[in-house]
Parts: sequence; C-alpha cells; structure tokens
Amino acid sequence: MISVRNLYHSYSNDDKYAVKDVSFEVKEGEVFGFLGPSGAGKSTTQNILTGLLQLQKGEVAVAGYNIKKIDNRMFNEIGMSFEESNLYGKMTAKENLDFYRKLFDVETRDSMDLIRIVGLQGKENIRTKEFSKGMKHRLTFARSMINNPRIWFLDEPTTGLDPAIASEIKDIIREENKKGVTVFLTTHNMYIADELCDRVAFIVDGEIRLIDSPKSLKLAYGDKLVDVEYIKDGKVLKETFSTVMEEDKQRLIRVIGSHDIQTMHTKEATLEEIFIKVTGRGLV
Amino acid sequence: MKLWHSFKKELKLASKGMYFYIEVGVAVVMLLVLLLFVPKELDGRHDEYLYLDLPQGAKELYLEKIRSEDLDGQEESVTLKQGGRMISARKFVLEDVRLYVLEDREAVIRYAEEEREVAVVVALDPDDGLAYTYYLQGYESEKLRNLYLIFYNKVVSMEEIEAFFDDVEVRTLEGNPQMLNDRENLLPPFLTFNGSLMGLFILAAYVFLDKQEGVVKAYAVTAASVWQYLMSKVGVILFASVLTSIILVAPVMGTGPNYPLLLVFLAASGFFASALGLVLTSFYRDIEQAFGALYILIMVLILPNIAYFTPSWEPAWLKAIPSHAMLESFKEIILDRGDMGYVLGASAGFLAAGAVLFLFANHRFKKTLTL
Ligand SMILES: Nc1ncnc2c1ncn2[C@@H]1O[C@H](COP(=O)(O)OP(=O)(O)O)[C@@H](O)[C@H]1O
Ligand SMILES: [Mg+2]
Repeated sequence: MISVRNLYHSYSNDDKYAVKDVSFEVKEGEVFGFLGPSGAGKSTTQNILTGLLQLQKGEVAVAGYNIKKIDNRMFNEIGMSFEESNLYGKMTAKENLDFYRKLFDVETRDSMDLIRIVGLQGKENIRTKEFSKGMKHRLTFARSMINNPRIWFLDEPTTGLDPAIASEIKDIIREENKKGVTVFLTTHNMYIADELCDRVAFIVDGEIRLIDSPKSLKLAYGDKLVDVEYIKDGKVLKETFSTVMEEDKQRLIRVIGSHDIQTMHTKEATLEEIFIKVTGRGLV
Repeated sequence: MKLWHSFKKELKLASKGMYFYIEVGVAVVMLLVLLLFVPKELDGRHDEYLYLDLPQGAKELYLEKIRSEDLDGQEESVTLKQGGRMISARKFVLEDVRLYVLEDREAVIRYAEEEREVAVVVALDPDDGLAYTYYLQGYESEKLRNLYLIFYNKVVSMEEIEAFFDDVEVRTLEGNPQMLNDRENLLPPFLTFNGSLMGLFILAAYVFLDKQEGVVKAYAVTAASVWQYLMSKVGVILFASVLTSIILVAPVMGTGPNYPLLLVFLAASGFFASALGLVLTSFYRDIEQAFGALYILIMVLILPNIAYFTPSWEPAWLKAIPSHAMLESFKEIILDRGDMGYVLGASAGFLAAGAVLFLFANHRFKKTLTL
C-alpha cells in the first residue's frame, strides 16, 4: 500500500537532511509505526507521503499513486489526522465535518456518527474555537475517517491526550484496522507503538535504524537484558545490560568483578529500552 | 461542486469574520460622506472668473449679453473668499458654466495661479474686437486650447458678440468638461479603492488566517484542488466587492448607470486584483512578512487615485498602473454617454491578466500553501 525508496528531504534545499535515505514498505491491512524522538523526521516523512510537502528525492507510491505528481483522486483513499489540530474555529464541530464531507468524490460518513465515535456528542453545535485542546484533537482525528480511507495517516494520534481518551483513540484505531484499513502512524510513545503496531521503524536523526515487529524485537532483545543493582561508593546504582552486545558484556563483567551486586534479573525488554539499545538515544 | 461548497463555506466564514463587515462599513461611511458632505449642486458646471477690461459701453453690452444667457436672467451679487481676501463679484449661472465677473484683474489672475480655476481677461483689441486672454492650467487639452483661440481670440466686431455666444456651447462637447457632479465624480476613486484595493488586502488576510489556523493543510489532503480553494476565496472577495459597490452606486446614481456593465467590470477588475493579491501572498508565510510588500503594492495602486484629484499631476507612466484603467472605466460606466467599448476592452484585459496571475498563483501555491 505504501512503498518508499531512498527518500531524502531537506527544508533548506541543501545537504542538511531532515529525512535521509529512508526506505520501507507498508503492506495492506498493516499498522505500521514510525517510532522516534521529537525532531527525528517522522512528520516530515508523513507529510511527504500525503503530498503536504513536495517530494524532493526518492520514490514514493501511496495506494498505487506516484507521489511525484500528485493526483487529487488519491485523497479519496487516504485520511490524515494532524499532530496539531486544524479546524475552522468559527464553525461548529458539525459544520466543520459537514463541509469536509463535500470535498471528496466518494461516499462519506455521517458527521454525527463520527462525533459520537470520538465522544463529542452534545458538543456538535459549539464553535470549535471554544473547544479544549483535547476536544479539537479528537475532532481532527474523527475528520480523518470521514471518507472511509483505505490508508490512514495518523501523526501522533494520542500525544497530549489524557490517558482515558488516548485509550479510546487506540481502540478506534484497532477497530478500523480490523475492518481492513491500513494504518501509518507516527509516535514517540513506545506504548502506542507496542500495543498498536504490527511493525515499527525506529527513526533517529532522519534515518531508519531498524524495522521489525515489536514481538520479534522483544524476542531478539528481551531475554538478553539484565537489570543489575550494585553498590558503588556507598550508593545503590541500577543499570541494564545486554548480554549480546559486546560492549555491554564487557561492562557487565567489570561490574560483577569490582562491585557488590545486590540484585540481578533477566527480563523482557520494553520497546523503549530496545530503542535505546539500538539507537543509543532516548525517546524524548 | 466542490468549488460551490467551498464558496458557500467561505461566505459563511466571511459572514462570521470581521473583514466582511469592515468592507461593508467602509462602503457605508463612504456613502455617508458622499451624501452628507459632498454638495451635488455643481451640476456639470465649472467655474470661470472674468475680468472685463472694456470701456464702460462695451462692458455694459457684454454684461447684458451674459445676463440674457443666465438661466433666470438675473445676476447675483456675491462675495467670494480668496485666501484671506474678500472679493465682490457678479455671479451668472449659465447652462454649462458659472461665471464670476470681478472688478479686480489681479484677483482674477490669482484664481488661475493659486486656485487652478479658469480665468479670463476680456479686453478690446486695437481693431475694436474682443480679445480674450485665457489663463490656462497647462493640463487642458490641445484641442481645448485651440478652440479657445479660435472662438475667443479671433478678432470679432462688437456686432459679432451675439454670434459668438451661439458658439459657446461648443465648449461643452470637448475637452472633457465635468459631466459628473462633484458627488458622482468621487465615485470612481471610491469604487476603485473599495472594490479592488480592499479586496486585494482582505484576500491576503483570509489566506494568511487559514494558514495560521492550519486549515489549509486539512484542505490539501482532500480530493479538492488548490485552484478550487483559491477560487472560492476570490468568489467571496467579488461578492463583497459587488455588494459594497452597489451600496455606493445605487443611492448616488439611481438607475442612471449601466448596471450590467458595472457588474461585468467589477467582476473582471476584482478578479484581477484578487489574483494579484494571491500571487503576492504566495511568496510569504504570514501577514507580518507580507505586510511591507502589500503596503507598497497598495500605495502604487492608489497613485492614480491621487492623480485623479490633482489635475496638474498626471504623468504618462501613471496610465500603466492598473487602477488608472479602473478609475477611467468606472467613470465611463456612470457617465450618461460613457464609452462602453473602453469598459469592455478594459474588462477583457483585466480578465486575461487576472487569469494569467491566477494560474501563476495556483502554480506557486501548490508548492507553498502548506508550508
Ligand atoms: N517547516 C520546517 N522548516 C524547517 N525545518 C523543519 C520544518 N519542519 C520540521 N523541521 C525540522 O526537520 C526535522 C524533523 O522534524 P519533524 O519531521 O517534525 O520531526 P518529528 O515529527 O519526528 O518530531 C527537525 O529537525 C525539525 O526541526
Ligand atoms: Mg512530528
């Protein structure tokens, strides 16, 4: 459904790339996540895929359309929810959706249904400029489903939402995916990536470091991590070591040899820990 | 269809925003200024100031002649104010001119020099004919000057005075004397300002507002095209322009003007101005950055308006500024026997130029609208 090959993008049109040699494929029906810290290039990539940014270098196909020359019909098949909500503040929630429906050539969903799905019923006749940030975000999210997209682009779908709403949003994404919708999402939240994604790409500084499913990542790294608590200079220190990476193994031997060990556990790694191990960077 | 829905939505948004009401408000204020503060009385007549440098007999005869031309056959004694001076004069209202006959030659010349009025000194030439010395402003057409020469400075005998008064009417047919009263005369600059220039500015404001709200991005990921987005905005600008122009024209001109032609021209010139605004807007991220360029553009477009009120200043390059053609066209539209061909030609020109600008703006916006 999505095919990206050797994608580069520079905002300054020089060799300072925000996205560098990115390649990946997203299969039909898959939930594919871009996981990376802020500034990694996730939104840039997504904006190129949806035509908001001009393709500079590389080859991109979305739903069978070549992004080099955008065909408006492509937008009948994709939906996009934005990191920052963007609604007509002077129009009510329902008016926003009603107008948006008119901009597609395909059958669209009922505005009120969508409003109910994201829990905004009763608020449909309020101008969106009176909405809280979370409400605006939910409506922007709902709007992205309006044309029954085959491919659904979600930029940070739960960022800044309180946990209960974030969990509802996750449920909706899962449900749509069950109906066959292909999802491309970006996030810097490892729980989202872990719970929703069939596969994740770790992206740092505009480059993809790894693509795999959370499950096999955990299999590959999980049992091979050791949490060690030891005493150094009278203080208790806690550290996690990989038992496969050479550097970690050497450090672990040194720690065991020269300090008092208090506890030592092998464990299943979180995606975040794997991310740090692989990229050498945290997720914030 | 998408264009129609976008237009409806833009109209709805405009009706909820302040710019629309600012435009209507400005039009209403202009109308009130026209109706309350600009006298209408000066129906097609211009002023002439005369000094009769004639022997008593000839002078009496001359005055008698004018008096017979006066609409009510009466002269009026008035006191004119010139600078700080009070000057008494006899006022005659003829069909196409108001004559002020002064007893003070210097004052008459001062009218020419300082007040840019038409001043005439009538004297006897050596052959007992009448010699007219006209003090012209320099902006009168060659044709008018020649006519003055032919009709006034040719040597005529006293008996021919009668004959030449018959010729007076010739003046009204050429040299573009004001056929509009002062109030009507203000309409073209007001219409140019209100329709086109305001439209340009407000269009830019609308686009930047959308950019700021981010809704442009939401629009960009729909099956609607950029040109539909832009055109729906232009549509709202044209709607406001037509509305405010009617607000101005109808109460002042009544059923006089050629309204279909007015609509055609408003649409064409408004489209041009909007497209110009779009091109300019496409180069900037927000209104702060665009403000300088916008300001300069509007100032340039206002220059012909200034020239319109300053007869002595009308350089040739001014005619190259589009708003000059707008002024002229609006004038022709509200004139009784205006030059419809000129207006249609100008409309076609604006439409063509507008289309080129619009295509260019569309091309640019495809790349920059969502930045
Ligand atoms: N409009 C822009 N102009 C210039 N640089 C930008 C712009 N948007 C993003 N960037 C830069 O590109 C890099 C990637 O940003 P982005 O794709 O938004 O990251 P993410 O979505 O992963 O947080 C960052 O260094 C960011 O500063
Ligand atoms: Mg982002």
